[in-house]
Amino acid sequence: MSLCQSIDTLAMAFLDDELVPEERRELELHLLDCAGCRVHVDAERADLSLVRKALVAPPAPDMVKARIARALDVADREEVRAERQRSISIVGRWFLPGAAMLAAAAAIVAFVAVRPAEPSRSGAVAKEVVRQQTRTMPLEVQGAGTGPWLRENFAPIEPPKFRAPQLDIQLLGARLTAVSGHNAAQLRYLVTSGKNQFTLTAVLIDDLRNDELSGGTPIKFADRTLHVHDANGMPAVTYVDEHHMGYAFASERLTAQELLELVVSSDLIGRAQQGR
Amino acid sequence: MQALREKRTEFERQALVHTDALYGCAYRLTRNARDAEDLVQDSLLRAYRFWDSFEQDSNCKAWLLRIVTNTFINEYQRKKRSREVLDAATAEQDTTDGVLMHADANERQSPERALLDRSVSDDVQRALEALPDDFRTAVVLCDVQGLSYKEIADIMQTPVGTVMSRLFRGRKLLAAALRDFALAEGYVREGAQQPKATAVELPDDNKAIDLEKYRATKAREGSR
Repeated sequence: MSLCQSIDTLAMAFLDDELVPEERRELELHLLDCAGCRVHVDAERADLSLVRKALVAPPAPDMVKARIARALDVADREEVRAERQRSISIVGRWFLPGAAMLAAAAAIVAFVAVRPAEPSRSGAVAKEVVRQQTRTMPLEVQGAGTGPWLRENFAPIEPPKFRAPQLDIQLLGARLTAVSGHNAAQLRYLVTSGKNQFTLTAVLIDDLRNDELSGGTPIKFADRTLHVHDANGMPAVTYVDEHHMGYAFASERLTAQELLELVVSSDLIGRAQQGR
Repeated sequence: MQALREKRTEFERQALVHTDALYGCAYRLTRNARDAEDLVQDSLLRAYRFWDSFEQDSNCKAWLLRIVTNTFINEYQRKKRSREVLDAATAEQDTTDGVLMHADANERQSPERALLDRSVSDDVQRALEALPDDFRTAVVLCDVQGLSYKEIADIMQTPVGTVMSRLFRGRKLLAAALRDFALAEGYVREGAQQPKATAVELPDDNKAIDLEKYRATKAREGSR
């Protein structure tokens, strides 16, 4: 087969630098001898140069680059939002005073560090809270009147408030109940995170002793010990304040860590810090 | 959050540095600045979304160009009217006949309008317009981006021989169209006759442009 027969293919591959060295040498030798192929390659070279020169494209305008950067920012924000909907994480996002924030972060790090592979057995109080969270009992008071109702019917305390800026947490209402023989008030909150809505239960238990919060994983936070429980797969966080008022929180939609973060962000902790 | 920041930094370092190249490719594929902007942005967003699937250490630019090309073929081409699809099919049919009549751009009916519209850059875009999509894609990937036959074959998911053949025909048509427009430029200035459509000679099928076929034939002959 003479090279002349395949000159279209060879000239193109030659000019595109796609020939292996041996083929290249062979063609170059042939071009020395064959004027016809030489003319052909020169014509092809001229065409290629014309096309390549014409096709030189402008760089992307700065406006486009800025637009792309903004689009990526939007994608990042959506990713963060989607991530949050999959699993609400509020690490480092609450509005506690500086020192309390550090302590809270330490408590959560401690929890993550000590979290046992097997969830420890939960105490009776935690089980009761989880049971109340899973059963939707009719509320005795709803909405804005809940605070005054609580002070009148249960104890002179305010319902806990949570400070997680990216979550909308509304107190739906309350009802009186009993936990392990103690008077108690069940508060129900509606948590809104993006498109997700779920409830959170806080049970306030009167005249509770520290040793009645058995089980769970103890987490030291400031001068108080929080207990993180896993009751049949649902996390619960409990603690007792200096007035022997017990607090227990549960929500099936949160992980133990997230619930702990939420509780640490609550004004109860802030109140305790300021009171000292 | 930290992972997201790292992903963004990596993406900027490896992918966004090719924005100019991608834009150039998109500009020649879509043939206008606005579509090119949209195509580049869509493609980069897509790349960002699938960044996890990019094999680190492989050729990022080729990966991105594949996304631009596929996005162009899938999204932008689908939007075109069936008339244009028909035109492209006709053009491809014509080329298989061995000779393609390169029709002068139909839009330039009135010399006044032509004068307003004209620029060299418009000529290039109009010349590209006359190419079948596959030809244009091969030419853009090779002559704007400098990709190898193999890389283009991977992107277009065709054998190297097909790439060469499209590249060969695409360049021939493009070169002829560009010369035509250069003549037309003269016509606009001198008031001469409209240039005639140019007949482009294309090789017939038994003279295939295929390096692999050439190598195979040569090897067969060598072993005889």
